[in-house]
Amino acid sequence: MRPRWRKVLSDLIDNKARTLLVVLSIAVGVFAIGVIAGAYVIISEDMSVSYASNNPANIELRMDDFDEDFLNTIRKFDGIKEAEARRVFNIRARPLGKTQWTSIDVITIEDFEENEVNLLTPLSGKEIPLKNEILLEQDVLEKMDAAPGDTLEVQLRDDSIKTIYVAGIVQDSSTGAVDFLAPPLAYISTDTLRLFDQGELFNRVFATVETGQDDDAHINIVLSALKEKIEKNDYEVGRTFRSLTHQHPLETTINAVLGILMALGVLIVFLSSSLIANTLSALLTQHLRHIGVMKLIGGRDKIIFKMYLVLLVSFGVLALLIAVPAGGQGAYGLAQFIATMMGFSLLGYRIVPSAFIIQIMVGLLVPLVAGFMPVINGSRVTVQKAISGDLAGESSEQGEGGANRESRFEAIQFQATRILADRGIRIKRPLLISLRNTFRRRGRLILTLFTLTMGGATFISVFNVRVTLHEYVESVGNYFLADVTLDFDTPYRVSEIEQFAMQDPRVTYVEGWAFSGADILYPDGTTADNVSLLAPPAGSSLVDPLMVSGRWVQAGDKKKLTISEGIYDLYPNLQAGDYLPLKVNGKEESWEVVGIFKFINMEGILGYAPYDYISRDQNMANLSFSYRIVTEEHDRAYQEMMAEDLDAYFRDNGFHVQEATPGLSTLDSAAESLDILISFLLIMALLTAVVGSMGLAGTMSMNVLERTREIGIMRAIGATDIRIITMVLVEGLLIGIISFILGIFLAVPFTYGFSWIVSTAIFETPIDVVFTPMGYGIWAGLVILLSTLASVLPARSAARLTIREVLAYE
Amino acid sequence: MTTTTESLPLIELRNVVKNYQSEAGVFPALKNVNLNIERGEFLGIIGKSGAGKSTLLNMFTGVDALTSGEVIVNTNEESISLHSLNENDLALWRGRTMGVIYQSFQLLPMLTLAQNVMMPMDMSDLYHPRKSRERALELLDMVELIDHAHKLPSLISGGQQQRVAIARALANDPPVIVADEPTGSLDSITADHIFKLFERLVQSGRTIVMVTHDKGLMPRFSRHVEIADGELFSEADRK
Ligand SMILES: Nc1ncnc2c1ncn2[C@@H]1O[C@H](COP(=O)(O)OP(=O)(O)O)[C@@H](O)[C@H]1O
Ligand SMILES: [Mg+2]
Repeated sequence: MRPRWRKVLSDLIDNKARTLLVVLSIAVGVFAIGVIAGAYVIISEDMSVSYASNNPANIELRMDDFDEDFLNTIRKFDGIKEAEARRVFNIRARPLGKTQWTSIDVITIEDFEENEVNLLTPLSGKEIPLKNEILLEQDVLEKMDAAPGDTLEVQLRDDSIKTIYVAGIVQDSSTGAVDFLAPPLAYISTDTLRLFDQGELFNRVFATVETGQDDDAHINIVLSALKEKIEKNDYEVGRTFRSLTHQHPLETTINAVLGILMALGVLIVFLSSSLIANTLSALLTQHLRHIGVMKLIGGRDKIIFKMYLVLLVSFGVLALLIAVPAGGQGAYGLAQFIATMMGFSLLGYRIVPSAFIIQIMVGLLVPLVAGFMPVINGSRVTVQKAISGDLAGESSEQGEGGANRESRFEAIQFQATRILADRGIRIKRPLLISLRNTFRRRGRLILTLFTLTMGGATFISVFNVRVTLHEYVESVGNYFLADVTLDFDTPYRVSEIEQFAMQDPRVTYVEGWAFSGADILYPDGTTADNVSLLAPPAGSSLVDPLMVSGRWVQAGDKKKLTISEGIYDLYPNLQAGDYLPLKVNGKEESWEVVGIFKFINMEGILGYAPYDYISRDQNMANLSFSYRIVTEEHDRAYQEMMAEDLDAYFRDNGFHVQEATPGLSTLDSAAESLDILISFLLIMALLTAVVGSMGLAGTMSMNVLERTREIGIMRAIGATDIRIITMVLVEGLLIGIISFILGIFLAVPFTYGFSWIVSTAIFETPIDVVFTPMGYGIWAGLVILLSTLASVLPARSAARLTIREVLAYE
Repeated sequence: MTTTTESLPLIELRNVVKNYQSEAGVFPALKNVNLNIERGEFLGIIGKSGAGKSTLLNMFTGVDALTSGEVIVNTNEESISLHSLNENDLALWRGRTMGVIYQSFQLLPMLTLAQNVMMPMDMSDLYHPRKSRERALELLDMVELIDHAHKLPSLISGGQQQRVAIARALANDPPVIVADEPTGSLDSITADHIFKLFERLVQSGRTIVMVTHDKGLMPRFSRHVEIADGELFSEADRK
């Protein structure tokens, strides 16, 4: 081997610990990037494909009962590809021997084998239910414990109780997805209808369109035409829903996760780049003398560059050998984790080419760019300087001004020490040395601080974002202030229900609400979307809205409403005072929008109008289906107990109760997807913290490596192990503390940035940011722990050096 | 062409000035130095510590840039004015033309003695790798270190390391050897051993320039100049 390559090889293998440090510092970042890029690609690809594979209906119609003949008319309708009719009705169920009822929507499927749209994915048990058997959607299991083979008790509308056998558990990613507020689902075959006293007619249509399955405008055209045709046949259509074939219903949440992944990826590229730059520049500073010697004996820049190119590429390749396979596995693991939480399945393990390319780019390019700075610097240093060794100190990094700045720092330090001493505060000598050492290599210090501070700021902001999100969901809870919502099958006089309810001494207040569905129309008269109109009594204290503009509804408002921010998707320039075309009870009307309020948009567009107007409009003055009840206490357990008690109480008195729901459960689905996000953010925070402390560990061991001679001299003049270890530890801690202080400030823009990413993805609206001391507190503890850990090994190896080793030449 | 440079001095320094820039201001390390170095001579540059000896050496090895004046080196093929070369060409030129030896040996610690000696040949591409290996062993044999050829520098003594440095300086068979206090960190017996090696090389026709602060060595050079405060003196004879 030619001596030049022999040198490169020796640089690579002689000091294994050092090579390992460099390789690991590259590999950590490349691994993280591989995990993130890979998971990003796998999720965004598989999410829509796996969703589409169940052939979700593009159109769902909830309508009056109809028969097979009418279904055939729909099937033949222009633009419709497949159409299936089902019967959906609501029951209450509980496992045998349990007291808690769960409201369930039962879907009747004519032929499970010929099923074409909204396909079910079997999870366990049987795939097709026989007579008097039921399949449960997996969401049911969140509300009650049941497994294939169990028997359920079912309560029908007339309060009679039947039993039914659980045949299997399935996943239905399409049907439940369009309506978040709907109860979980279960499936039976037509034979079982009789058990539930249900007729053999259909009440829902699930259809796909022929073309433009991912084009909402086109689906809307087909839907409007179909609806018109159906209404001409004297069938009433209730609510309609549209969805795209390739758009997963949880896409917004997943997009938020992906957005965070992306941000994390960019962050990690920066962090690992600075980590790599730091490690390599430290390593190559030690090579300056070698470069000088080679130039002395005739080495041209070209040869020297080539040697270091090979060295740097070798570091990169070694790192890639570790990071690429590990990153691929990690990516799939992370994607699997997210997919399981979001309820879709992946298409299988695979290598993601773009992730692979990004890894190679970062693994090779960053070391090259980072490493060539010191090499070019080194080759610019004159041979004389390199050989005389006067660059062992700062000069190489700082250029000519280094010595000056150094002495200025020393002067400041001297001053500070004297001032402190005058007040009787003495800084101990080892601390002084640590302090001095910390600031010795300013370039490296800055890079280390950068890495650690970024990690810390991310960590702190995750906690802020968490509180921000919870606070927001809580404020959305202000639209649902009642402790129990009591829904009946038939309307009752408000005064009657009030009187009955108040007989329970724990009930303090009762309100009857009206409800109406309406279509929001485009200016040309076509339907744009549904709006659920809630109508509390004017001046109700059970809604505490978050107004964006305008005012809340008032007594006396006629054809006036407040509407949630989701309206901006349809009418981006809408302002309070504008008129909105609505179709209410089949009549096209123009309503004045008196105000716009914030709400969770994924739950659909929501509107409020006064009870008086809506109930009169429906010819139901002083009547109501739906009641909001306030109880003495407001915690979740109390609400659940009250819901159960009121349900039983009203049933016992002959009222047709549909459901009694505890108030705080309204936001369960929103809170659930937030929890997924937050656990995600935490993983991200930990990752950045780990990369940050890796950076610190690298810096500390480089510092120690470089100062072997100095440490030897300290030993020679009697420094004990403890003293040397303390010196290194204090230095690491000092860096940790400085980065913590910087992180406090950096966390502010980070918090705003992450909150923006998450809130615009989930709520489609920026939300007010909240700060919490928790993240700061935990990070303060963690950074001290991490910087201690990061310095312990270098400190121990420093203490282990013997004087002879250190002072021996080279 | 050959005949034109043959008659000229090997190295000519003309009005060389070197100023160091430092916090304290401009420090004149060489003040208008003129010096010719002839082929085949064993020139001693003698002066106290801080007199400017190393600075002077650095001027004609091209290791450091001069402030004003000119350095011309006339080798067999051509006349070269050093400051017209850039760092890169200078490195290649130095590798082929000068063997430089320092007080602190400057061996690469991760390479064996043989590889250290092969390094200049590798850098300058003057020898085929196999040939350079043979040559390195010959040179190590000459400095009596053939038995240690495959050891690392840290395993041999200072005197031995300096002999490796000399072997390395001879690797490309350069017309001139330049040594900056090569015996400075060696004990007197070892130093004498090194010096004798130089004398043998001069006898075999090589040009050597050696810097030392040891006036006792004065009679053993074929010629010497003295330097103090950046100025040469007792130079009247040749100039
Ligand atoms: N890089 C430098 N910057 C400033 N002054 C220098 C530098 N190198 C050498 N000197 C000064 O120049 C003078 C000559 O130095 P040098 O040639 O090394 O002396 P010698 O080799 O004779 O001991 C000394 O006073 C020294 O302090
Ligand atoms: Mg000197």
